[in-house]
Amino acid sequence: MSDLARVDTRRAGTTQLVRITGELDLSNARELTDAVGHAVPDDVTLVVVDLSGTTYLDSGGIAAFFRLSQRLRDRRQDLRLVVPDASPIRAVVELTRLSQVIPVDQSAPDLSGQMAYAALPPDSAPDRSQPPATTDAPDPGAPDMSDPEGDQRNG
Amino acid sequence: MTTGVGAVETSGPAPLPSSGTQDPDGRDTPDISPAATPTRRLVRLAAIAVAYYLGARLGLSLSLVGNDVTPLWPPTGVAVAALIVFGRSYWPAVAVAALAVNLPISANPLAAVVTAVGNTLAPVVAVTFLRRVGFRRELDRQSDAIAIVFLGALASMLVSATIGAVTLLASGSITTGQLPAAWAVWWTGDAMGVLTVAPFLLCLPLFWEQRRWPLRLWLEALAILVVASLVVAAAVTTGLHIFFLTLPLLGWAAWRLQLRGAAPAALIATLLATAAAARQRGPFEGKTLLEQMVTLQAFNACVALTSFFLAALVSERMQTAAALTAAASELERRVEQRTAQLSAANTRLVQEIQERSEAQEQLSHEEARAQREHQIAETLQRSLLPDRLPDVPGVALAARYVPATADVQVGGDWYDVVQLPGGLIGLAIGDVAGHGLNAAATMVQVRMALRAYALQDPSPPAVMRGVHQLVAQLPVPEMVTLIYLVFDPATRRIRWTNAGHPPALAFADGQGAFLEGALSPPVGVTVDGSFTEASEVLPPGVTLLLYTDGLVERRGVSLTAGLARLDREACAVPDDDVEALCERLLDTFLDEEHIEDDVAILAMRPVPSVDGELDVRLPAEARNLVQVRSALRRWLKEAAVSEPDVNEVLVACGEACANVVQHAYSDQESVGELVVEARLDGDDLVVRVRDHGHWRPAADRGGGWGLHLMRALMDDVDVEHTPAGTDVRLHRRVHVGVEA
Repeated sequence: MSDLARVDTRRAGTTQLVRITGELDLSNARELTDAVGHAVPDDVTLVVVDLSGTTYLDSGGIAAFFRLSQRLRDRRQDLRLVVPDASPIRAVVELTRLSQVIPVDQSAPDLSGQMAYAALPPDSAPDRSQPPATTDAPDPGAPDMSDPEGDQRNG
Repeated sequence: MTTGVGAVETSGPAPLPSSGTQDPDGRDTPDISPAATPTRRLVRLAAIAVAYYLGARLGLSLSLVGNDVTPLWPPTGVAVAALIVFGRSYWPAVAVAALAVNLPISANPLAAVVTAVGNTLAPVVAVTFLRRVGFRRELDRQSDAIAIVFLGALASMLVSATIGAVTLLASGSITTGQLPAAWAVWWTGDAMGVLTVAPFLLCLPLFWEQRRWPLRLWLEALAILVVASLVVAAAVTTGLHIFFLTLPLLGWAAWRLQLRGAAPAALIATLLATAAAARQRGPFEGKTLLEQMVTLQAFNACVALTSFFLAALVSERMQTAAALTAAASELERRVEQRTAQLSAANTRLVQEIQERSEAQEQLSHEEARAQREHQIAETLQRSLLPDRLPDVPGVALAARYVPATADVQVGGDWYDVVQLPGGLIGLAIGDVAGHGLNAAATMVQVRMALRAYALQDPSPPAVMRGVHQLVAQLPVPEMVTLIYLVFDPATRRIRWTNAGHPPALAFADGQGAFLEGALSPPVGVTVDGSFTEASEVLPPGVTLLLYTDGLVERRGVSLTAGLARLDREACAVPDDDVEALCERLLDTFLDEEHIEDDVAILAMRPVPSVDGELDVRLPAEARNLVQVRSALRRWLKEAAVSEPDVNEVLVACGEACANVVQHAYSDQESVGELVVEARLDGDDLVVRVRDHGHWRPAADRGGGWGLHLMRALMDDVDVEHTPAGTDVRLHRRVHVGVEA
């Protein structure tokens, strides 16, 4: 049921940010992560899947992320997950020791910093510390991403 | 001139009706030549007189005893035949000839005159009788044969015999004792003369009046006459009693040639036999006078009667056969004619039918097109409305769509139920202005857009804005009224926005209220498209009813009155069943015969969990896992279980359900049932997940994390396998009463 979850992707430099809102279960986890894997361009080096807006995740979803991780590793791309401490899925993530295979962060990365870092050639990093949004960030829609959804679920 | 002649002739010797000799086409005018000129008449008179005289000489020559007893008196036959053929007005010829015959052989002239009168009177009487009975001289009917035998011969000749015999007595030629014998001889002679000679003479005109004989028949007739003559001659000359041999010959002649063959043969036979008797030859040799007379007259009578009757019989049969043939062919002709008429009529009828059907086809063409459009619109409408509302645990849903009965009024009304993330349910009902295919097509786009917008962001104003933008950019902007409403089963809170649509009705326990808030103009009408939101918490047991205006709008009835009636009727429905509610409302508000406008209704009723326990039964499909979670989440929250516990229990239960979905029915063709039950005693929570399939070890599912997670998240996990299915009991102490 693809109605269950929504996926937004955004690219910043060599980083692909994927935000999954909704629920991941047996019915959609596999196809969803497969779609993410397909959608990531080859020149991306890091894929960050933000699960801050994910309200449900079961073992099928965990398996799907292992699969995605393996796939990206084959392409020399790294995968990181974002699961806040207060997330409803935190328990599942910990119980399955997902973090031993895929790095799990508390919060979404500082996109602008990463972009700046990613945009800099390794040698000339100190010289260019200021051009964050000019070259590689075409859409200044970043504030949307930190806005947690699901307010309607608070009874 | 006809009448003049007739009038003169009525003064004749007998009180006869006019013979009408010159009547050209009278049926009883046997004259051969009606337009007889005086010259011809004289010739005929002379011919008749001569023939009579010669016949008399012949008769005298055949007398048995001197001139006294003549067994055959041919002139009588000549007279009868002549008067039949030419008419009674020729009697003077007979009278003159009779006088001429009788004068030499009578005692005195007076006796001769009287006798001649008798001889003339008898044929006239005979012809008169025959005319009375409609005698035909062709002698081709049995009645003609009977008439000439009994009236023409036997009866009429009583006249001449009586007069002649009495005259003989009076003139002293015979004694009183001789009178009977003389009378008898006279009578038989005259009668025989009529019977033998008259038919022969009558048959003569037939040779040119009737169908001519081919040569074959002439030869046959000749053969018959020759053989008959030989037979009679042989009988006469040899004394052999072979007269009877003539009878088959006469039969032959009558059968083959009718009167024209039979009459001459009979005449020849009779003449020869009489001649033999007169000369006392053959069988007549040595017989007394009486014996001769009896033998001869018996023979002659046989011959005459046989020939006439047989000829008449055969003629009649032939005529009947001809008449039958003619009738048959006439019938056949008429049948053919009638058949042709009927066939023509049929062709005409078929043509008319075809023309009419063509006309009708033409006529119904327009109607058919309108009907087709109606059908297409209705089919489109039906196929695009949800064929089945989703199974949402804890919520009862029912909907109806009734298309307008009028031709082009269908299309435009719709409803939808969307399941949204977080267990929310989106309800929508709307009406696209206009009807027919265009309205139906717009409806489809609006419905699909609304679904997409709702999944992206369930907020009613956001969804409505999206729909507004879509409608505004349509090539032909349509006015769309629409209510979009989001229901959270966990909180029973509804949030809605209303774009120009009749307000939804919420009612419970006989009390109803319309959801009046958040009303804006219809979608696609205003430029800016700003929409507000209203929200309300539904009390327990409330039913929510959404509908289109076709349900309440009636001609001559205000919308306010219609809404009031809807409120009244909905509250009066005793049953809690939403299906029954829909049926009842349609029955109450719609006229089955004529539905002016489309009607769509959508009813929703949150169902309270039974006795505080959860019982969810759904097909074991992956897409239903979210339903189970929603129901369980709602139930746990209603039971005031703490949020962290809720989330962990959801995962544990979800794993058990996923196992059922993946494994329980994998070896079966049809999907079985997934049963989830939950019970809370104080802080003791038990969740049971059951199926009716076979347990398969969860080997390849996330490294067996399913069971691992269940055990980690719950205090106790008990899995029981039976042939009837698998029963997973999840047990855990939870925090109750802590606000989430």
